[in-house]
Amino acid sequence: MKKIFFLLVFTVIAISAFPQRNLTALQYSIGFGIGDMQDFIGKTSFRGFTFDYRNLATANVGVGVEFGWNTFYEEMADDVYEYRNITYSGKQWRYSNHFPMLAAADYYFKPDASLSGFAGLGIGTMYTLQNTDMATYTFEKDAWHFALRPEVGVLIKAAPGVGLTLAAKYYYGFKAGDLPAQAFMTISFGFVFVP
Amino acid sequence: MKRKILIIVGFFSALLLAGCYPDGPDYAEELDVVLTYHNDIYEFGTKTTYSMPDKIVKITGNLQEGDEPVFVPDATAALILSRIVQNMDALGYDRVNLGSEDTDLLLLPASWETTTISYWYDYWGWWYGGYYPGWGWGGYYPYYPPVNVTSYTTGTLMMNLLDKTELGTNGNPVLQWAGAINGVLTNTYDANRVNTAIDKAFNQSPYLKTN
Repeated sequence: MKKIFFLLVFTVIAISAFPQRNLTALQYSIGFGIGDMQDFIGKTSFRGFTFDYRNLATANVGVGVEFGWNTFYEEMADDVYEYRNITYSGKQWRYSNHFPMLAAADYYFKPDASLSGFAGLGIGTMYTLQNTDMATYTFEKDAWHFALRPEVGVLIKAAPGVGLTLAAKYYYGFKAGDLPAQAFMTISFGFVFVP
Repeated sequence: MKRKILIIVGFFSALLLAGCYPDGPDYAEELDVVLTYHNDIYEFGTKTTYSMPDKIVKITGNLQEGDEPVFVPDATAALILSRIVQNMDALGYDRVNLGSEDTDLLLLPASWETTTISYWYDYWGWWYGGYYPGWGWGGYYPYYPPVNVTSYTTGTLMMNLLDKTELGTNGNPVLQWAGAINGVLTNTYDANRVNTAIDKAFNQSPYLKTN
């Protein structure tokens, strides 16, 4: 975990050491659980946002960081669960919070065009906090995952210094602690600011 | 200027997300939970009779030597015991008198209550001000961090099935089945809510059925 943290710190220092053009994006994101994550909460998340910062190393390449927060939630119907020779029944409220903190790099295919596609990769850590509430109890699990995040998207120039962005991102946090691998996809859209 | 806009947009985005954080239960009965345990090598199917007291002991945890135990009020206990009997009948058991030699199983009901009190300082509300009627948005802020206090009492009904011939190393009968229903207590006794929970305890234990 320390290595990932230092990687993020190094990235921030490295990009700020070279004052060039930069790009900041704030995006709202809709999340879809995949695999074990979907088994835990099947519902789509409409609560998420990401903050992205990229320093443009060249016209085509941006290097920076991404921070995000996605909350998945599902109210489970009154159901029966089994654990060994114990059976318990009742309603459950499940919450899964994910906080990706990534070093990221993007490639912009047509940086000077009014509409430019891009592809990127993020690498770093993702903190997951999962709660299962049942009766007056909450069962909590959390873990720091090593995480990867490929993404594709488009940048649209809307006005001088301001643009719009639409992206599809796939977050994958490797198995860590008591939690299995956490994977989800997001559709994100928001504003891009280019000073 | 752009930096300021960015900070404001970021701040309100975080606020919006925090504000729409999902809520949990709305009603007390949604917090009802039923838990059952069974000894998976015990053959319930070969048993046909059980006995059960006519009272439900209330576990208070402060009973001293020589003190009389406390019981659930008779009228309430009668409703609960009657529902247990209905379920045992449906599973094929015959109720016999307490102490009878013909008893295969002993069903012992018990109950207890737990009150939880929690409090927290709402620093966010204190800073924000707008949470409190009368203060107004962006108006005066309280001079103290408001303390929120909440308390709830949960009630648990425990149903234990024992076989007096199956003794543990300490000489006491080993627990063969246990059903626990737990929920947040309200001001009035809701028979329908309790009956539903008792039925669930037996329904989720199909292995109790006699042959």
